[in-house]
Amino acid sequence: MKSISLYEEKGSLLNKLAPESKILYIIIALLLPVIMGSRWVSIGFIAVSFFLLLISKVLRKTVPILSISGFVLLTVVIIQGIFRAGNVTPVFAVGPVSFYKEGLMFAFEIVVNVLNILLSFCVLILTAKPSDIVENFVRKGFSPRFGYVFISVFQIVPQMTETMSTITDAQRSRGMETEGNLLVRIKAFGPLISPVVMSSLINTRERALALEVRGFNARNKKTFLNDEKKCGADKYIQLGMLAMLIAGIVWRVAGWR
Amino acid sequence: MSKNGKSLWSMKFNTATLVLIPAAIGINYLGKLFAGALKLPLWLDSIGTCLAAMLAGPIAGAICGAANNIIYGLTMDPISTVYALTNIAIGLAVGILSYKGFMKNIKLSLLTAIIVGFVAVVVSTPLNVIFWGGTTGNIWGDAVYAWALAQNMPVFLASFLDEVIVDLPDKIAVILIVFGIGKGLPKSLIALYQSGDTIESLDD
Repeated sequence: MKSISLYEEKGSLLNKLAPESKILYIIIALLLPVIMGSRWVSIGFIAVSFFLLLISKVLRKTVPILSISGFVLLTVVIIQGIFRAGNVTPVFAVGPVSFYKEGLMFAFEIVVNVLNILLSFCVLILTAKPSDIVENFVRKGFSPRFGYVFISVFQIVPQMTETMSTITDAQRSRGMETEGNLLVRIKAFGPLISPVVMSSLINTRERALALEVRGFNARNKKTFLNDEKKCGADKYIQLGMLAMLIAGIVWRVAGWR
Repeated sequence: MSKNGKSLWSMKFNTATLVLIPAAIGINYLGKLFAGALKLPLWLDSIGTCLAAMLAGPIAGAICGAANNIIYGLTMDPISTVYALTNIAIGLAVGILSYKGFMKNIKLSLLTAIIVGFVAVVVSTPLNVIFWGGTTGNIWGDAVYAWALAQNMPVFLASFLDEVIVDLPDKIAVILIVFGIGKGLPKSLIALYQSGDTIESLDD
């Protein structure tokens, strides 16, 4: 079964760190540029994220994530470059349409912001196992029942994807068309999705029974299957990042005088 | 669905409702996958959220919507995490409306769909403006956005129109699918998610 998570264990430095450290990194990578009000901070964080991903040997895995947003970013650059209100200084022209400096600068800021978000998230999601993240949250006091909800998604989705390919094959073999004009394709959606929906809803009843029989609702303190993911450096990294955040706030407040 | 003695805003979930949430997220995921495979011009990625909201109430729907986008963020598209707000709003709206009986027949469902569509648009538009400068990444919607900007409309209005073009048909399709599925579900399954903690006695 193919996992939906992009995480990969490579024994790198980032793999060994606790997920909380990486979540804290995302928070400061997103907050500091806002607090300090400079896009250079974002560019700095993009460089740091890039470096961290490089030394963790997961840079190649960012490609699918970047390509999803890459297309949208392209439309942002085109539309803002041509149509943004306040466009006055033409930079270059492609055929009859000309791109303007103001719109392109605005689009550039969006691109920087989005890249910063994407890469800082990649630092977390490419190096931390989803179940480790949830387990560490449960250790910190998150409800174990909702912890189960999150972890089980990662098991259920691959199962359902398999059911989906079975159903697609079954319906095709009965002669249903899945290609052709829009109407044909819209008609195909119902017979494809409804069997999976029905079967997965009926499965929830059995899963609920199975869980309750195994003491899902017991109020005892829960134990964990896996050891807590953390290393000695985590404490210092987290303290360091908090110090950076405070320094950023102090710098901004002092700058207002 | 109908009145069932259980409070609309109850935070107490039975195991069946908790298990419904991951299943609903899976359904969202498959909807998106099928829509992509059939090359439909819609997202269809909130069928599960609406289904969970209809079956188990607005809070379950909202949690399902939030969890859905957080998990999306952790696996495929980090930016979609912020659109958790939109999905929370969708879950709440569908949950409340179906509790009030708005999913009873197809006409009322259509009305639900339009309300939910506008709720989604109102929540998404500021997010689009903050993160993308107003575009949605959908070709038709963005064409409208470009046209509106060329007519000197303000960015917010252009972005609003962009989102309406994309979201409203999507939500209408989703709610109608959910309505259809809801009609086909066995009663015993529907009762599973709506049982409160109290057991009714048949003796008196």
